[in-house]
Amino acid sequence: MSAQRLRFAVMVVATMLALTPGSALSLSVPDTLPLNSQGKLYESFQFDHARHIKLTRECSGCHHHTAGTLVEDPNCIRCHRNSGENKVVRCRGCHLADPFSAASLREKNSNPNMYHLDKPGLKGAMHQNCIGCHKKVAKAPIGCTECHKRKKAGDAFYSAGNFAPRGKPGKDEH
Amino acid sequence: MKRRDFLKVCLAGGATATMGGLCGKAWGSSSFEGYPDGMGVLVDTTRCIGCRSCEAACNKEQKMPVPEVPFDNTSVFDETRRTDENALTVVNRYPSKESGPVYRKQQCNHCNEPACLTSCFVNAYTKTKEGAVIYNSKVCVGCRNCMIACPFNMPGYSYSSAFNPVVKKCIFCYDTRLKYGKPPACVDICPQEALTFGHRKDLLKLAHERIRETPDRYYDHVYGEKEVGGTSWLYISNISPDQLGMDNTLGNEPIISNVKDFLGTVPMVLTIWPALFTGIHLLATRNKDHHDDHANHSGQEDDQP
Amino acid sequence: MKTIIAQGMKTVDSMEKSEGKKWTLTEKLLLGLPLPYYIGQALRNPFNWFLALVFAIGIPLILGRFAFGLSWVTHSSNDYPWGLFLGFGLFAMVPLSSSGFQMGTACELFGRHDLEPLERLGLLNGLLGYFFAVVYLLVDLGQPWRLPYPMMVSFGPAAVLFLVAWHVATYLSVQIAEVSASFFEWIGFLPGKKAIRKITLGLTVAGIILSTLHQGALGALFTYAPGKVHPLWYSASFQWLYFFVSSLPGGLCMVITVSTIASRTMFWRCDERFARNLDKVTVSLAKGAAMGLATYLTIKLIGVAHDNKWSYLATGWGAWYLFEIGLGVVLPLTLFTMAIRNNMMKLIRLSAILTVFGVVLNRVNTAIITFNWKLPHREIPHWRELIVSLTIFCIYIAVYRFILYRLPILYQWKGVEEPAAALVPATAAEHVHAGGKHIGEALPAATYCTSAAQEAEEY
Repeated sequence: MSAQRLRFAVMVVATMLALTPGSALSLSVPDTLPLNSQGKLYESFQFDHARHIKLTRECSGCHHHTAGTLVEDPNCIRCHRNSGENKVVRCRGCHLADPFSAASLREKNSNPNMYHLDKPGLKGAMHQNCIGCHKKVAKAPIGCTECHKRKKAGDAFYSAGNFAPRGKPGKDEH
Repeated sequence: MKRRDFLKVCLAGGATATMGGLCGKAWGSSSFEGYPDGMGVLVDTTRCIGCRSCEAACNKEQKMPVPEVPFDNTSVFDETRRTDENALTVVNRYPSKESGPVYRKQQCNHCNEPACLTSCFVNAYTKTKEGAVIYNSKVCVGCRNCMIACPFNMPGYSYSSAFNPVVKKCIFCYDTRLKYGKPPACVDICPQEALTFGHRKDLLKLAHERIRETPDRYYDHVYGEKEVGGTSWLYISNISPDQLGMDNTLGNEPIISNVKDFLGTVPMVLTIWPALFTGIHLLATRNKDHHDDHANHSGQEDDQP
Repeated sequence: MKTIIAQGMKTVDSMEKSEGKKWTLTEKLLLGLPLPYYIGQALRNPFNWFLALVFAIGIPLILGRFAFGLSWVTHSSNDYPWGLFLGFGLFAMVPLSSSGFQMGTACELFGRHDLEPLERLGLLNGLLGYFFAVVYLLVDLGQPWRLPYPMMVSFGPAAVLFLVAWHVATYLSVQIAEVSASFFEWIGFLPGKKAIRKITLGLTVAGIILSTLHQGALGALFTYAPGKVHPLWYSASFQWLYFFVSSLPGGLCMVITVSTIASRTMFWRCDERFARNLDKVTVSLAKGAAMGLATYLTIKLIGVAHDNKWSYLATGWGAWYLFEIGLGVVLPLTLFTMAIRNNMMKLIRLSAILTVFGVVLNRVNTAIITFNWKLPHREIPHWRELIVSLTIFCIYIAVYRFILYRLPILYQWKGVEEPAAALVPATAAEHVHAGGKHIGEALPAATYCTSAAQEAEEY
């Protein structure tokens, strides 16, 4: 082959590699993920990661700038213009399970170098991320029980289902 | 005779003045911005989805009775509800042309200078250093002046109880959580983190920062920053507060400012009136023997000089 | 009673029934009548039938309020925590009871002894009004058995209500002491009366101090809710003055009204001194009330100007405000001025009733009707709340009448400081002629049965 043709082939392959989602590369991106395994009120459920990858085709849509192409939110690129992908991209890596614990509040209060003071906790981040996008997409689930079914403890908590006040069955909208 | 009368009057006046000393001690403070470590909650209505989990959490945490309608029922939004003896917090839905319906949670705002506390004559309310305004049902007489005073109309009263009716309002989960530094039950449960817990001072900065970073998303006002002297529960939203059922005519003065002038007059009246009226009496009855003028014995008195 | 006295029955007006014999307490309670006569005249009185009806319905309701809680007699409103019990029972009755300190001050401090024939009525009016205001309060409070708490258990001294509680408690004691002078006369315990007379000056000064403050404090209560009372009725700076100043004509006109009712319905009980002086004293009181009304009108206008609220007058609420001021202040003021000048007694009395109505309307407007004016719904009281309020008011009237029939308020007790004073003519007819043509009407011929023309009389 001529040098020109070789260069062209390398470019094509490189582009294909760049465009190929991580699952095609040898990164361990799971197809499904169990979510809410610690849930007391709602059951855990399997999150269809592969489906979302096919639908969004863009990692940074959920994983901010830690994965995928660079995000264009001006509030982010102020600092993260040159940030690449992160080793840790799962939500739990940055978003705390208990964002309002005394320890994290103290940290926010006392550490002057901490920038992301408004970082939501894990539960908040996941719901804001999922519901935020689902609201803009037709037929995407936004009701509570559309994603995760309620446990018995959850029914008791909401005075719904079998725990509904007699004579007034719960209108299960979520 | 006149001196004796004068001394009697002074005694009576002195006794009432002592009692008056107990009344009307309104310390004129410049402005109280909350205790330095006071906590608060920032309510971001752009995040609220109206799931009512906060209502359910409050109900369970504060051991309220089973509601009439389940907490996942959204038909309740068809009418505007208010807090009452069975619901210390409610979420209401407000229409908005720009964005579609907006949900707002309401509960006691735990003011810096609470009107309820100011108006209570048995000192049933306390503003704790954590920022919560808590209530002592053991001394409450049930006058309901606090309900009259609250500019947000938040306290409810358990009218249905014949023998132990008490005021019912959000207490910031003080006994079970805030005292130990933990966020209240509603904040804990909120899936969208529409409620952010933290020090009030930090939350104010946070709120303004959110507005600054995404100005298209928010109406530029943090409700509760200054209203009626500042509250611990702060609100930001995409539409103006009055469209969310929040009173925007309250002004920034705490309620006690309205009452201070009268309270200050009280000891003055208690001190000045005895001398003033005794003086008038002495002037009016000059040269007359007062007791002859009284006609309590037989018949025909009346127009004596 | 009129007919019984026309037949020659002697009224109880001294300790002595007849030469050497004293009235017993029971006899005094029964107005000197034998029991069958007493019950008979009570049953014949149409006003008592009305009272019986009200009590038959109302007293079970009052008991129910305590058995079942406030939710049974009110709409359990959290937006309108105060209803008729406080809005009418407390806020309206207290200014009308300001006659206690006003008459006391006028007679004892300012030396206006010409007002003395009505002084005791003014004091009694004050005492009963405050006492029943406390009764209304006890019905309204969530936990009325805790009423002494602000006095003994837990103090909230920065609260205006704290001042009201202490002052009303103290002032009730002052008023009881002042009225006890007539009570001691009636039961024949003269040392008690002498002791009270000794401290009357102190009591009176204490009375005026306490009254100024708590009349004003009731107004200051509304400064806790600045946005909730309509701006025309509310003044941030002057609310307490509105209430204090309006209580002055309110109390005086209440005395005029009550003395009018008493002189018409229980003329047999009024003695010659009362009858002779009633018109004169009424004119004096009317002069005071007119001055009070003029002052009140001026300060209301100042209040509107001070906060530049003129534009509110053009609204629906403004029309209602103008109605209240017009009917309750301007009209009586005009009528008083005309009537005092020309000595038109009927017009004076009409003005007094209008003033009383105006004060009541003002309080009910401030506390209930214009309260929460920004909220979309108005609160109409529960029917049980209405009946309970009416019942308590009827109990007030009944107690008032009970005392006026017996204690030396409308008449003077004979033989108090001199023994065996001259006896008064036994027939009531002479009382009528002595009193002049303004008071009451000539007695009908003595009959056992009351005619339909007779107004409500006695037991």
